[in-house]
Amino acid sequence: MKYIAGKLGLFVLTLWAAVTLNFFLPRLMPGSPADAAIAKLSQNGPVTEATRAAIEAQLGVPDGSLWEQYLAYLRQVVTLDFGVSYTFYPQTVSSMVSTALPYTIILVGVVTIVAFILGTLIGVAAAWKRGTWLDSLPTLGGSFMSTFPYFWTALLLLFFAGYVLHWFPTTGAYSATTTPAFTPAFIGDALLHAALPALTILVTSLGGWIIGMRNAMINTLGDDYVTFAEANGLRGGTVAIRYAARNAILPNLTGFGLALGGVVGGSILVEQVFGYPGIGYLLFNAVIGQDYPLMQALFLMITVSVLVANFLVDILYGVLDPRTRR
Amino acid sequence: MTSTEQTVPELVDGLLDVRDLSVVYESPGAAPVQAVDHVSFTLKRGEFVGLVGESGSGKSTLGFALTRLQKPPARTNGGKIFFDGSDIRELDTEMLRKQRQGGFAMVLQSGMNALNPVRTIRNHFLDIFRAHGHVAPADREARAAELVRKVELEPSVLARYPGELSGGMRQRVSIALALSLEPQLMVFDEPTTALDVLVQHAVMDTIQALQKSENFTAILISHDLGIVLEATERVLVMHEGRIVEDGSSRDILERPQDNYTRMLLSHYADPRADVVELPGFPDRHARVAAGVTRAEAATSEPTVVTRSVRSADSAIVVDHVSKVYPPPRRGEKPVRALDDVSFTLEPGQSLALVGASGSGKSTLAKLVTGIEKPTEGTVRFGDVDVTRLRAKGLRDLRSNVQMVFQDPYAALNPLHTVEYTLSRPIHNMTDLRGDDARARLHELLETVGLTPTETFAQKLPHQLSGGQRQRVVIARALASDPQVLIADEPVSMLDVSLRAGVLALLEDLREKWGVSLLYITHDLLSARLVTDDIMVLHDGRVVERGVTADVLRNPQDDYTIRLLDAVPNPRRLREDVA
Amino acid sequence: MTSTQNVRIPTDGAADGAVAAPSRWRSLGRTLGVVWSNGKARVGIVILGLFVLVAVFAPLLAPYDPKDTSFDRNLDATGAHWLGTTAAGEDVLSQLIFGARISILVGLAAGVLSTLIAVAIGLSWGYLRGFASEVVGFIVNLFLVIPGLPLMIVIAAYLQNGGILMIIAVIVVTGWAWGARVLRSQTQSLRSRDFVTAAQFSGERAPRIVFREILPNMTSLIVGSLFGAATAAILAEAGLEFLGLGDSSIVSWGTMLYWAQNSNALLTGQWALLFAPGLCIALLALSLTLINFGVDAVSNPRLREGKAKK
Repeated sequence: MKYIAGKLGLFVLTLWAAVTLNFFLPRLMPGSPADAAIAKLSQNGPVTEATRAAIEAQLGVPDGSLWEQYLAYLRQVVTLDFGVSYTFYPQTVSSMVSTALPYTIILVGVVTIVAFILGTLIGVAAAWKRGTWLDSLPTLGGSFMSTFPYFWTALLLLFFAGYVLHWFPTTGAYSATTTPAFTPAFIGDALLHAALPALTILVTSLGGWIIGMRNAMINTLGDDYVTFAEANGLRGGTVAIRYAARNAILPNLTGFGLALGGVVGGSILVEQVFGYPGIGYLLFNAVIGQDYPLMQALFLMITVSVLVANFLVDILYGVLDPRTRR
Repeated sequence: MTSTEQTVPELVDGLLDVRDLSVVYESPGAAPVQAVDHVSFTLKRGEFVGLVGESGSGKSTLGFALTRLQKPPARTNGGKIFFDGSDIRELDTEMLRKQRQGGFAMVLQSGMNALNPVRTIRNHFLDIFRAHGHVAPADREARAAELVRKVELEPSVLARYPGELSGGMRQRVSIALALSLEPQLMVFDEPTTALDVLVQHAVMDTIQALQKSENFTAILISHDLGIVLEATERVLVMHEGRIVEDGSSRDILERPQDNYTRMLLSHYADPRADVVELPGFPDRHARVAAGVTRAEAATSEPTVVTRSVRSADSAIVVDHVSKVYPPPRRGEKPVRALDDVSFTLEPGQSLALVGASGSGKSTLAKLVTGIEKPTEGTVRFGDVDVTRLRAKGLRDLRSNVQMVFQDPYAALNPLHTVEYTLSRPIHNMTDLRGDDARARLHELLETVGLTPTETFAQKLPHQLSGGQRQRVVIARALASDPQVLIADEPVSMLDVSLRAGVLALLEDLREKWGVSLLYITHDLLSARLVTDDIMVLHDGRVVERGVTADVLRNPQDDYTIRLLDAVPNPRRLREDVA
Repeated sequence: MTSTQNVRIPTDGAADGAVAAPSRWRSLGRTLGVVWSNGKARVGIVILGLFVLVAVFAPLLAPYDPKDTSFDRNLDATGAHWLGTTAAGEDVLSQLIFGARISILVGLAAGVLSTLIAVAIGLSWGYLRGFASEVVGFIVNLFLVIPGLPLMIVIAAYLQNGGILMIIAVIVVTGWAWGARVLRSQTQSLRSRDFVTAAQFSGERAPRIVFREILPNMTSLIVGSLFGAATAAILAEAGLEFLGLGDSSIVSWGTMLYWAQNSNALLTGQWALLFAPGLCIALLALSLTLINFGVDAVSNPRLREGKAKK
């Protein structure tokens, strides 16, 4: 319990620090993003006072002390009111984010968990069969695949499986002819659209989990309790799973939490290539359109999601390691 | 053993027959090392045999080869191991695995790490029962409890995780686990080395009692001839991969045939005896009474001291010092490492501070050298209050108060030559520069007996033996011409044969250079050799103090007596036998 | 303890320097031997060597000027243009060869810079104790969990149209934390060794202990985190360029893919234009990863190549 309380405290503190960083980021940059934003917005039509005030609160303008601006910003964050988007005026940022978020969470979340479990299993097998083809094949293949740039894997898959072979649709999260609903037809259509992005993330992230688990397990295989388990004549499977792998999963889990940010980053590129309407694709469009409020909100959302995922991993770690229960 | 019909074996049949066994270490890029070289011996059923050797003798390698547990780069490259009539080198993996129940078992040196940190003790037992199926599921819980009781633990430990048990308890659990295999042969590889002295003694007693009651054949691998002679009936002495002597404990004690065995034996003595002598160490008590220095009395290893030195002129005064550490975990009590300790180390005095681990003796060393501050009380050196020093003051203090570390392998930076290591304190804490500094460096090497000094100056730590390293550590401590040396277990990591040399060096320095020595140890024999006075620490309190020879010959406190009883001593065995 | 910020490594020839040199070289030789003895690392070194040679001799190797737009557009592979031409009429092979320069430059510069920061922070964080260490630890962990690429994208978006220097700066700012964490835990473990306490007893001051006693014992870890940081930098640079957030007028593998996507190479079926730059990025990153297999084996003997018992 103390462990969880400690991790919760750290999580809240980190969350606050990330939110604050997000506040200072535009203010640390040369030039005034707010002026640039207002100038850009005025091209679309007259800027209302309310909009102007919202932009200034978000992006920082000279009037009002920094502290007042910060408080206003915190209020926005807590109420999830991020103002309006410039490029998709007059849509609110919040509504856009909430439309895009489920796609990314389902796509990236599910694929990452699958990739982690799969990679861990392969890593266990590789370390256990060290020096055989069961080791060298996944190790070499994994390290090769993990160096593929996400967007390149995405482009290749899109090119061959989409354009050349026509196995999968080439863009979007569902066909223009269907409407989102909980019907088998729509879900099937959505899965078909998610297949290539999912495959890309799987292929590029799998290698890292394989190598991480393999190296962690090679370490635990050298530990005394494994030697002692062998000396006691336990079956190979018991030694591999309950002794070596069970302990190797702990450092690998920590690695998982820390590598999550990389996968989320990579998924932005993937969504861009496939035109998949998640957070990453939205962020890309916000950046291209210099839509600062949207960009800020998205960055915050991505950071918070990764922090939450890390917190969950910490909790899982606590469950798996009896030493944290004391 | 209740569940097998293993009849008590007569001494007629052999259990283990090892013929010409060789094990080689083959690391890529390094020359192969023949760690075990054509070793042959036989073991009868029910025998308890000791396997003794110093570090690098190949004794553990042999133990791992016998139980087919060796891993690359070690490889068995010759010979046969007949266990119960068949060569176990021929067994395939599954046959070997089955053989581990009712066959041969091993208890590892690092028993503390031999348990899976994420599995309860109960699960460790169940894993073994499930793997071999030799205990019916219904009986498993009772059997596990029975085994745990045999190693003198409560059955409640079954529900614990290894991290919740002390080192001694974990080693007992691993013995119980090995026992649960109902083995005919048990190999104990340094089963007590990582444990505290008093715990060591208790665990050895348990092993001996079990060997008698369960009647398994056992091999006890140890670096300590004293422990082995006390525990076993027969001893194999190993040196450089070969067995140099094989005989009954009594024969080895009374009529050692091999020079190496004799040398090992010569380094044991009873610290309680009236006269305590070791090679190079005439009895201190008699010698001090006669006003003779060690080097004069002993003919070996004359130490050249070529320069005039500053004798100590300041005392270290420890005044009502207590040290309380914050609780290791929340919800526990703070740890009182030292409780109202007072003593004075007079100039030129040598004082032993003895106790088991956790007695607070190392904490005291940290306080005296200013590494840590006491919770209460003061530590003074001359008119300096050590407890109030900051960075600058500490550096000044250290030109007068120096430290000799326990582990010579950890105390030298592996990347620096001896010359670099010694030149730094000369540069930092003396005014010597250039040729003068170089001259001092060579003088230091000569003082600690590392000649020719030009050769040793250029060496890296890995090119030196343990004893040589410890000499470098001592030379470094001397570089600033200190008045006080704090030596924290300076010989405990060294092989027995190297200890006397390092101790002799410390003794000479004290006598000729006039430094005061605070000698921290759990080893009462070495305390007897190099100190005038002694202080026994237990749970942070001084339980006994006085003249070393008097206290050890006539101990008053129970704790001192227990420490004395824990000292392995083959000669005491001889008296018992006689 | 004094702070280790802004520390100049003291060098006084009188007492050291000349003495330490031979041992340093010998241990370096041993280290290289361990790396080279690893088959994977050997392959990596060869691939990396090839890329470096190509980058250095690009003007000699490339058949054309990479920015020469005078050729026919969207050519497939021909005798004159082995990998075809781009939508703007440039020679793909020449662009590929010159692109190696940017990737290697960014990998080297960003890798070295973020490793320097990692060393400075990791070592001082590991050596210091108490509250200051906790604060540094919190900041490092913050930078570790904040997703790097989104942060880079946001910063790059604010710094409109920055060139390659901006990209390097952004990668360094977001990429040092991992190395700092690894080096810190090693510093902590070395700090508790007796030889560090012994150095204090030899009258050494904190900066010298950190840089002369602790640092040389972590060479392989530092090299490992350098290669790791360089790999991440190469991939990040390509990602940013691909999104069009860098200077899209330079010739790099990332911009090649950016233009390829924007000119619909997917539709025109010019697979070489898509395939070649990405493969080069992957191979370059792979070579560094492979070398790190060997470097890992130096700091962790258990990972040295060997066979399981069965």
